[in-house]
Parts: sequence; C-alpha cells; structure tokens
Amino acid sequence: MVLTYTQEHVYEHPWDRVTSAAWRKFTDPDTPTVLSHILDVHTLSRHLDPVHGVFSSTRSITVRSPSLPFPLCRLSPSPTILCLETSFVDAPCRSMEIVSKNASLKGLIEVEEKSSYRPHHQRPEQWTTFRQETSIRCKPLVSVASALAEHVEHMCAERFRQNSVKGREIIERICKYLESEAANNKLE
Amino acid sequence: MGILGGGKRSAPPVATTAAACSELRSAYHDCFNRWYSDKFSKGEWHKEECTAQWNNYRSCLQEHLEDKHLRKILLESQNSDASSKTD
Repeated sequence: MVLTYTQEHVYEHPWDRVTSAAWRKFTDPDTPTVLSHILDVHTLSRHLDPVHGVFSSTRSITVRSPSLPFPLCRLSPSPTILCLETSFVDAPCRSMEIVSKNASLKGLIEVEEKSSYRPHHQRPEQWTTFRQETSIRCKPLVSVASALAEHVEHMCAERFRQNSVKGREIIERICKYLESEAANNKLE
Repeated sequence: MGILGGGKRSAPPVATTAAACSELRSAYHDCFNRWYSDKFSKGEWHKEECTAQWNNYRSCLQEHLEDKHLRKILLESQNSDASSKTD
C-alpha cells in the first residue's frame, strides 16, 4: 500500500535566487519558529565537480516524530526520526533535485520526497517551477491492521501537506530578502 | 523536507546531535550560502570555496556525531572527497 501525491508551485523569482533560498530553508534563523518539528540539520558530505558545474550534498535532518495512534506508538520508542536529504545541482542546466528519505523507523514506514527546481518554461529568466512527489508506504506489519496502516498514511500525508505549505512560505520570504539584498548591493 | 512533523503534543526538548559543532556549522553555512548565491548559481562553478570551514566542521562532526549510520556516511564521503583539499 503506497500513497503518492504530487505538488507544484511557481515562484516568481529567478532560479538562482529560489535555489539559494532552498539551501537556506532549514538553516535560516527564523525557521525553527515556523517548522518547529525540525530539530537539527547537519551536512555530512559535499562534492563539487568543477568541470561540469555540478554540486552535490547529503544532509541529515532530525525531526520530532509524530504522535502515532495506538498501538503504533509502542513500536516507536524514539522521540525523533532521522531523515537523509541528497541534493544535486547542475548549474549549467539550471536544475536542482532533492531526494529525502527517512533513515530511521524504516521497518514501520517509508517516506520518500523527490523535489525539483527548474526555470519556468514560459518565463525561464524570471520564474522557477517547483515540483514535489511524495510517496508514503506503511509497512504491512502482522500486528497492524491494514485499515490502521492506511489511517497512518493519510495522517502523514496531511502533515506533509501542512509542512510543505510552511516550507514554501519560508522560501518565499527568503527570496524576498535576497531580492532586497541584491537591490541594495546594486545601489552601493 | 516537510516530514512527519507538526504534531500537537508538546514533546520535551530533545538533545540535538552534535550540538558542540553548531558554531562551526554556522561558519560553514554562512560561507556556503554566500558562495552558492553569489558565485556557483551565477556561473562561477570552477573553484571550490569554504573548504577550510568545511574541514573544521567535518572534523567536529567526526568527534561528536553519535549516530552510527550518519558517521558511516560522513566517513565514506571523506574517502571520496580527496579532491577538495585546497581553498
């Protein structure tokens, strides 16, 4: 049983600004108050291919685990869930792709989020298209009724949607900040 | 990642992993964010920067990161990252 859904959003900012904001999303000083479930973010690896202009990085993201319905809560003793996020940025192609997966609790649930930022097809110099595909799979445990597993999948999907909206708001705000910073630099 | 959060219960404060490295992390992120915004995303991708900040931050993580899975990724990346020694 897998629950999959896609989302799309157009940022009315150029690709370089939106992807800059995407990198800053979790490390911005104002983020903890908005995305309160994000507890910790660390960069574990980074690699630059200076010939082809490709940068990749892996980050760990520690999130507060959701309150699961009984009896699932008994299977998850840890108050946190660990996620791994791998990003690839191809600068010449102006493409950023991010894949996030949970690294803990995998015996219970598997979540994968594939996101991309690309120049908007009609206004490639001004706007950026964000696409995200999320798949949520609750593992068929013998002890868990399928109806309950389905309930958890829908509950997680709803949380994801809510947090995606918050994430977009953060990126919009950082884009505006970067825009005004660039304008000020031009004036100086 | 907009993952699995937003629960209504108020969980007790959770000790963050490798909190000891937070200052070195900030120094690296500040450098990286400037490099990405001002150079890499605008076509200047031929020179790697922030390697000094990255090496300091990574050394700290190696010392303080407790999660075995994360340590493995960190150490594997070090072996495949021998090309980024210059700043």
